[in-house]
Amino acid sequence: MRLGFPRALMYYDYYPFWAGFFYKLGIQLVLSPATNREIMNRGLKLAPDDTCLPIKILVGHLTALKDVDGIFLPRLISMEEKTYLCPKVLGIPESVLFAIPPEIKVYTVDINWRAGKRKALQSLMAFGVQIGCSKSQIRESFVEAQRWMRAYQRMRNASWSFEESMERFQALMEPGKFDSLGFSQIKEPPKTESLNEERDYRPKIALVGHSYLTYEAYANLNLLHKLKEKAQVYLVENVPSPAIEKEQDKLRKRIFWSHAKKVYGAGAVYIQDAEIDGLIYLSCFGCGTDSMTNDLLARRARKAEKPYLVLTIDEHTGEAGLVTRLEAFLDMLERKNSHEAHFSSYGQRLDSDSGLA
Amino acid sequence: MKLTFPHMGNAWIAIQALLESLNLDYVVPPFNSKETLTIGTHLAPESYCLPLKLNLGNFVQAAQLGADTALITGGAGPCRFGYYGEMEREILQDAGYPLEIITLEALDGSISGLAERIRKVAGEKNSWQKILKAMVFAYRKSLAVDQIEHMLHGFRPFAQSPLEADNLYERAKEKLVQAMTEQGIKEALSWLSEQIEEKLAHSSYQEETPLRVAVIGEIYTILEPFVSMDVEKELGNLGALVDRSIYLSGWVGQHIFLGLAQGYRPLKPYYSLAKPYLAHFVGGHARETIGAAIHFAQKGYDGIVQLLPLGCMPEIVAESILPKVQEDYGIPIMSLTVDEHTGKAGVQTRLEAFLDLLERARSQNKVINKGVLELAGK
Repeated sequence: MRLGFPRALMYYDYYPFWAGFFYKLGIQLVLSPATNREIMNRGLKLAPDDTCLPIKILVGHLTALKDVDGIFLPRLISMEEKTYLCPKVLGIPESVLFAIPPEIKVYTVDINWRAGKRKALQSLMAFGVQIGCSKSQIRESFVEAQRWMRAYQRMRNASWSFEESMERFQALMEPGKFDSLGFSQIKEPPKTESLNEERDYRPKIALVGHSYLTYEAYANLNLLHKLKEKAQVYLVENVPSPAIEKEQDKLRKRIFWSHAKKVYGAGAVYIQDAEIDGLIYLSCFGCGTDSMTNDLLARRARKAEKPYLVLTIDEHTGEAGLVTRLEAFLDMLERKNSHEAHFSSYGQRLDSDSGLA
Repeated sequence: MKLTFPHMGNAWIAIQALLESLNLDYVVPPFNSKETLTIGTHLAPESYCLPLKLNLGNFVQAAQLGADTALITGGAGPCRFGYYGEMEREILQDAGYPLEIITLEALDGSISGLAERIRKVAGEKNSWQKILKAMVFAYRKSLAVDQIEHMLHGFRPFAQSPLEADNLYERAKEKLVQAMTEQGIKEALSWLSEQIEEKLAHSSYQEETPLRVAVIGEIYTILEPFVSMDVEKELGNLGALVDRSIYLSGWVGQHIFLGLAQGYRPLKPYYSLAKPYLAHFVGGHARETIGAAIHFAQKGYDGIVQLLPLGCMPEIVAESILPKVQEDYGIPIMSLTVDEHTGKAGVQTRLEAFLDLLERARSQNKVINKGVLELAGK
């Protein structure tokens, strides 16, 4: 059996979970190709205008899944306790069904970790009936899925790049390689980046944002790569979860979306980190949770006088504009470090003379 | 402590009744206006949803009138409304309006936490019995608000002039605001129904049956005429008989009384109707929107208008699914997105065009209906 899985949205965080799950079941997960112009255009054309960019990209990917026996679109309600994923993620699969031709069967399962691990396993077992798998098979696969997921998280915390981690998992998916899982190697330090030109100034920059934007090289115009050429880059996934939880405890009310929580927590950690020269918040037009976390972080950055740049991308973002802003930001950081002690943080000088009525 | 609260349509009438019967010091913020929105837009994050912007405007204007504590409800998501209180506290603090914001919510099901907050608001002098009584009375008032609005919906297409309906509405609301007993509420309601009956009996009542149009969507947007650009009123003035998916008391019953009270229009039936189209709740009122669309389609309405603030996460999910409902039930659905830049003339033009299409579909029967369906939605 070949199940299609879109390389978009929740792929970036939970693909290893599903890869492990289906590997153990002997079901092949077929990924859509990396985002390209055609996928993007189809997504833009089919999806409602005012939804967010990642959903539009997801819709494009759904149309790109060919030669499959069905499409697997889980409804991820919650992947950890006391949190939700964003409403638009909860609306999947129904909200994107229009993009799938009626002859292709859609397989879905509700994953609600909020109600506990047992509940998640129960719904997977119910799902197992659909695909003709026994309860014990599902139970084993569930354990395997969590193992893959933990391995992935360790890789990410150990600063493996997203591509490296995914390559590793892709390799595992090929038959025969399963025995040499190689999970034991994960603890080894990440490949040291070639820092030959150490005399050159390389600022330390934290790139904060949803994984499906920071790693979505087509939509963000290869931002991560561009940034890595000029700076040492730190990402949300490099912050261990205890530190993120600690930031939550400082809030009067905990943030109830797991992604927003991670993004906020990582951002707050980087703002307080004296080693980090500046933050870049990568957001996309129409992201509901970003409107909140971005604002909270911008306020924190302003108080800490930490350089903070907001990049909002959408389907019309042009490369020249992005590069200009990026270079200006890096120039400012350099100038700050060599000449000036302070420059205005994000939002501080916007609109400063138009006082309130 | 001087309390205030955000506006949401006529909700202030019920909240005022609550605070009044508890003998608390409060300020009703000035009604939503261009100025309110300007203040809110200035302070709020650009891409946050519209209700937050108006809330902020309300609080600032109330603070200028002496309020120091704001009341709001909350929740644990996944709609952004659940985090309003926290955002508002922080934004107002930075803007120089250090309002204390009390979020009335039972976080993680902790009723004692909620009780503690209610106690903080109500002060020591009010007994729990009195608080409960005041809440029930406020709920009754919200029911009456809904009845008044519904009666007006029924009357407006037949009114001699829009002004006639407006006058009735304002006077009925005035009577309701002043009523401080159950009896008073009843009198306000019977006054309005008598007035309407009398007028319909007298005036040159037209025989033709008006188009029936339902307004569905995000609760704040459909309850607050300032945001919806008076959609219900405009539709009524254009001669359509309007109904709405969510009424205030339905929301109060579901969210404040946790489903123990039904409200004027219970929300529960919507959930089972929506199930084949959206099997799980997604926050906000997406399920209600879809369920209501089916409800009105089954009742033979001519068309449906969905209202949502720009970027509203749950309503976008509903918006993505509504075309399927439109197709299955053959009812035209138009989605209207509003934000701080929405102009009244633009909305009015779209409503007029929509009604023209519905009218044509009805007069030429079902032949043309398909064309309307294509034009109405995506």
